Amino acid sequence: MRRSPIQKMVRLAMLTAAGILLQLIESFFPVVMIVPGYKLGLANIVGLYALYAFGLREMVIVTLLRIVLAALGQGTLFSVAFMLSMAGGTLAICAMAAAYKSKIFSIYGVSVAGAAAHSIGQVAAITILYQQYFMQLYLPILVALSIVSGLCIGLLTHSLLKRMPMDKRQAAV
Amino acid sequence: MKKADGILIICLMIFSVLSLIPLFNGSIMPSTAVVKIRNEEIMRIDLSQDGDYDVDGTLGNVHISVKDGSVAVTQENSPNHYCSMQGYVDSVNTPIVCLPNDTVITIEGADEEEDTVIS
Repeated sequence: MRRSPIQKMVRLAMLTAAGILLQLIESFFPVVMIVPGYKLGLANIVGLYALYAFGLREMVIVTLLRIVLAALGQGTLFSVAFMLSMAGGTLAICAMAAAYKSKIFSIYGVSVAGAAAHSIGQVAAITILYQQYFMQLYLPILVALSIVSGLCIGLLTHSLLKRMPMDKRQAAV
Repeated sequence: MKKADGILIICLMIFSVLSLIPLFNGSIMPSTAVVKIRNEEIMRIDLSQDGDYDVDGTLGNVHISVKDGSVAVTQENSPNHYCSMQGYVDSVNTPIVCLPNDTVITIEGADEEEDTVIS
């Protein structure tokens, strides 16, 4: 059975909606550990799933739409929090795309690369926006934690892909 | 998990440990706390004297307390209260940041060579 473009569009829209929901839910429960501002990044499950179920282009669409629409819903569009999210997201997209295209990484490697790039992007954005260079001191802790969160997200997405498989040939109509 | 995944994770671990090293080089005695609000220097506090100070942050009053050569934000208006949860700080490497109030408190050492701290 051939899938129609509308079906794919609806699936991407549903994925984006799920991502927005995850991001909003996560922002209600801040995981306050040693590092303030650290989050697991549950919303990235959606981006990673889109990457493996559909492809690169769809991952970019879903992730960017998710960031913009979630900010719109929270009323933080074009605020500092949005800029940080955007900087982290863009860098994470680039890292995940590079890791995915190189084909030497499994889903865990791609996820960890994305999480680490997200941390680096956020720290870089804070450094530029606030001209506070000491924020780089957070980087080691954030990168170390992003390995953990990257593996968690990789595991979750892996099991999601097993339960909700999608044939890439059919999806890429 | 592929082999490349392990290599990537180990590389990231090494990176994070290596970037921690410059933190332990600075061993300057803390002497002054600099309070900045919206990137403007508001106040310089001598850490050798205990005392309490109030500044106006974006969301209202920020109460700063100095005790035994360390400084803390004890009361402030913000959603998550990260900076008051941080408690007393006496290291030049650890700033108190209160983003909702646009308030940053950094500690400066006796000699003003900042470049030796973050290199």
